[in-house]
Amino acid sequence: MEAVVEASELRKSYGETVALAGVSVAIERGEIFGLIGPNGAGKTTLVRALTGTTEPDSGTARVLGDPPPATDRNRLAVLPQAFSPPDRLTAHELLSYYAGLYDDARDPEEVLADVGLADAGDTWYEALSGGQQRRVCVGATLVNDPDVLFLDEPTTGIDPAGRRTVWRLIESLSAGGTTVVLTTHDMAEAERLADRVGLLADGALVADGTPTDLVDEHGGSSRLTIETAAKPAAFDELAYPVEQPSDSRGGESRSPTTDSIVVRAVTPPEIGDVVDYLEEREIAYSGLEWTEPGLEEVYLELASRAELGRTDAADRNRAGGTETETRDDEQTSAGETA
Amino acid sequence: MSRIDRVRAETNAGWRSFVRRRTAVFFTFFFPVILIVIFGALVQTDPTGGGLFAEPAAYYVPGYLAVVVLFTPLSRMGSEVARHREGNRFEKLATTPLTRGEWLLSQTLVNAIIIGLASVLILVLVVVLTGADIVLSPVLVPYVLVGVVCFCGVGAMLGSYTDSQDGAVAASNAIGLPLLFLSETFVPLEQLPGWFGPLVELSPLTYFARGVRAATFPEADPAGVAGVDPVLANLAVLATIAIVAFALGARSIPRTD
Repeated sequence: MEAVVEASELRKSYGETVALAGVSVAIERGEIFGLIGPNGAGKTTLVRALTGTTEPDSGTARVLGDPPPATDRNRLAVLPQAFSPPDRLTAHELLSYYAGLYDDARDPEEVLADVGLADAGDTWYEALSGGQQRRVCVGATLVNDPDVLFLDEPTTGIDPAGRRTVWRLIESLSAGGTTVVLTTHDMAEAERLADRVGLLADGALVADGTPTDLVDEHGGSSRLTIETAAKPAAFDELAYPVEQPSDSRGGESRSPTTDSIVVRAVTPPEIGDVVDYLEEREIAYSGLEWTEPGLEEVYLELASRAELGRTDAADRNRAGGTETETRDDEQTSAGETA
Repeated sequence: MSRIDRVRAETNAGWRSFVRRRTAVFFTFFFPVILIVIFGALVQTDPTGGGLFAEPAAYYVPGYLAVVVLFTPLSRMGSEVARHREGNRFEKLATTPLTRGEWLLSQTLVNAIIIGLASVLILVLVVVLTGADIVLSPVLVPYVLVGVVCFCGVGAMLGSYTDSQDGAVAASNAIGLPLLFLSETFVPLEQLPGWFGPLVELSPLTYFARGVRAATFPEADPAGVAGVDPVLANLAVLATIAIVAFALGARSIPRTD
């Protein structure tokens, strides 16, 4: 297959902050590539480097066979993060405006219908709801019928029905051969839409694969969450691994909760065995929830690994600094003695 | 879709956005009007030598026109560029076929329409309220247009190098106000210290004022430049500065972060 978006060893720093630490990726024609990662991981910088709106410090990028500044802009469309178009134009005027910038453009009415805003064409952008505004912005990226589409968090603020409209739209574009690079914090969105997902952490692409492969590799086993006040020791004789979940998912605080227990690697037919175990030992519980691992688990696992790596590095630096200080002290003392 | 079509699309959007901001429209026209009313009708001109305005009323026509030719592009362009940056609009536009020069040209056209209308209003008010006896020369049209091009370029630079809309407006006032009064618009060169002369020559507005005065008030007996008619010579100087300012302004518009 033909790679239409390629990056090789892209590096970019803003002062001391490393935004991209040597990212390489190749995205094929018609592929939807989901880019996920914590805030500040470098997703937007990568999109900007690929669209020519930031210059990488080193490395190369090619979109549609050309370096980003030379890419044929009639074949490209970008929805920047936090994009705010002129707010006193109607939705129809806005799409007509952006359509007017391209050599060959679609009918704005048709695009409005595609994003589910056929009835809002005469409303000023500033008078639309937040979700409708975002859909107009998505529409502005479709007016030139692009071959490559970069969407930076396209469904932020859109209600569930509107989100599905946008999802269906992206799927149909991909089916028609459009390559889509999608940045998102919504794992359900990435899981549903992306043919391939890349996880950026601290400017590095720490995982890249199909959602299924990533889940198989990093998602861990299934989770049976038992709402109970019982201690983990009460489950010592259970034939499955047991853990106490943390009360924060992917955040800074990960202290264990005391009102539930997670039993791993239980298949649906085996849930009965766990229930029998609870009944036999008269362990009180108020609910059971079984979940398969998904992209969210992959994200949490890899993001926490990256966070741990960062913490370890900081600890090593601190320890190195202490050792250096100690050595300096020793040398000073030795010097004074001499 | 040609370059003309892209400029037309951008100009249409810019024009509609402007006329729908009623406060901005009102004060764009109110500012020069109030200036004429205060300076021209209330303070008044005293050609006998006393008072704040010692020259005949027609002498100040370039000054009144300069209010809109200078201030409107500086403040509008400055804040427009800042607004585009804050809304990530340049990031979007950088990925379309529209070039920075086309964008600035479109904004300049919007300003030219606004300032053209304001200039007509000013000329009518100056004649009606101050009784100025002026020649309505067609050369006023290229002067206003070239002046708009020049100061749109400067305004684009201000918007690009300041970090917010507030900063752009403050910078445009800080630059515009001294230029307005120290470019042979309201204050004749003879009333300024001798050492100030070379600085006046550096202001693009000086050539606007000298040329417009030569065209509308021949009694002022303007000096030619190297033997060339002052109307054409000053227009040529202003046009040269305008080309440079426009090019630098377009180049300053951010395409990358």
